[in-house]
Amino acid sequence: MRKLSKFNIFTLIFAAFFFIAPLLGAFGYALRGVNGAGHSLVNFRWIFQQQGFYTNLGVSLRLAAVTALLVMVLMVPTVVFLHLGGKRWRRLIEFVCLVPIVVPVVSLAIGAQISMPKWLQSTPYELCFFYVIVSMPYVYRAVDIGLQSISLSTLVEASQSLGASGLTTLRLVIVPAIRSAVTGALFISIALSLGEYALASLLHFNTFPTWVTNVSQENILGSIALSVSTLIGAWVVLLLIVFLPKIRSLRKVSVNV
Amino acid sequence: MTTQIQTEEVLTASNRRQNLFSGFKFPKTFLGLLPILSFAGIFLVWPLSAIFRASLHDNHNHITFAVYRELFTGIYREAFITSFKLAFLSALIAGFCGAAVSAALVRTSGTFRSLISSASGVLANTGGVPLAFMFIAAYGQDGLITKFLLWLHWDIYAGSFDIFNFWGILFVYGFFQIPLMVIIFTPAMENMKKEWAEANDSLGGSHFQYLRYVAIPTLIPAFLSATLLLFASSFSAYATARAMTIGNLPLVPLVIGTLVDGNVIPSEANLGDALAMGMVAVSVVVIAAYLALLRFSKRRS
Repeated sequence: MRKLSKFNIFTLIFAAFFFIAPLLGAFGYALRGVNGAGHSLVNFRWIFQQQGFYTNLGVSLRLAAVTALLVMVLMVPTVVFLHLGGKRWRRLIEFVCLVPIVVPVVSLAIGAQISMPKWLQSTPYELCFFYVIVSMPYVYRAVDIGLQSISLSTLVEASQSLGASGLTTLRLVIVPAIRSAVTGALFISIALSLGEYALASLLHFNTFPTWVTNVSQENILGSIALSVSTLIGAWVVLLLIVFLPKIRSLRKVSVNV
Repeated sequence: MTTQIQTEEVLTASNRRQNLFSGFKFPKTFLGLLPILSFAGIFLVWPLSAIFRASLHDNHNHITFAVYRELFTGIYREAFITSFKLAFLSALIAGFCGAAVSAALVRTSGTFRSLISSASGVLANTGGVPLAFMFIAAYGQDGLITKFLLWLHWDIYAGSFDIFNFWGILFVYGFFQIPLMVIIFTPAMENMKKEWAEANDSLGGSHFQYLRYVAIPTLIPAFLSATLLLFASSFSAYATARAMTIGNLPLVPLVIGTLVDGNVIPSEANLGDALAMGMVAVSVVVIAAYLALLRFSKRRS
């Protein structure tokens, strides 16, 4: 760890102000009482009383889980393959993973509407596939950089000479070795599916973000409270993903000792 | 002790797995590409080609390019120009601010780092009504920060600033653009070797010379590709734009959104499809410019 220069400290303070100020402003309003007088938690309580809170939150959480799973199953093996035997296809896949950036989500939504089969359009899980597409550029980069920093072929040879199959190697050797890159990729896809609005609303599905938009028209203070809670809630979910494995491994050590 | 137990766990787990998948090896051929190519084919190329085909058919199902002429006239032309301006400025500003934040971030470590990087993940994906409400609560006419700054004798509404106009939206976009830059630019910053700065110091180079001859040339390609992502992200931002504007600012995604929702009946049914293709075309042009710039910067260094 190097020392922070004056410029670095200035940047961090400035950034902290830029990002915390809106939150504080929102908190200031959210903590007001009935009809904006006094202070109370009435606006936060209002959130849970709204119809559809739990169902829509459930839908979004399930979508996030399925998206994360799809991303892992699709992207990690592919990028590993590119690093091991498929080097000459690298350019092609890099290009394929760049295309979703060029395609605005709104365009993708229109395309999905006119091209996907009816049975798929009738379930919100359709969204997962497009969330995977949208997160592909970021996930590819994260996994690729992770794999560049380890000596992959040595690890694979070692694992296979010990008799492990390809899948075992992937699960128990490669993924743990690039843990931080994989967590980063998971972050991106989970945060994306929890907060995505354009696809869900244009394809007429009810998810948590579209629900937030709908109920926010009824109660301004309540929806400000809701906005703050959404942001902090999503952060807590990600922090759990980062710190749960650490806490678990800490416990394992103490049990074994 | 711990390691031993874990190794045993790993070995038994691998034995169990091996019975199921003992024949499985990493594919060495084109087969390894099949999953991703078919996935992208079904959920990316197929929808896009569907829009393209739809945009070429007019109300009477004749094949024509006529609808594309409308993109260059009136409100649609203006929407494209405003969207481009917003995306370009936002990418530039957020690019520099985000790069400065990641420069500071790579010098920290541990819990602080995890906190900031996960926060960036969340912030980069905020948008829509929650983001709009937070900024209105803080910087709106009645916002708490506005009042606080007024108390310090700085009236932010004295000039042309308004949270709902072009500059206000540019400001709000920073809230998810800067974290996005931090996420994608930090890995490039991490690749800067500490030895380079030390070599520069021992050769008597100043901090400015380090930036001019070492840091900036190595970081330029990554910086350009990151700002390209930022451009794309703000060019296609829909939720935030929709929550922040009251129809006063024409942006292409919003125009498409109203066409799709069926609130407005266009003269031609395929206008939305043509606009969607137009957005793809603008992005393609920007990517081409980026590739040219990248080649130029590589030749220079």
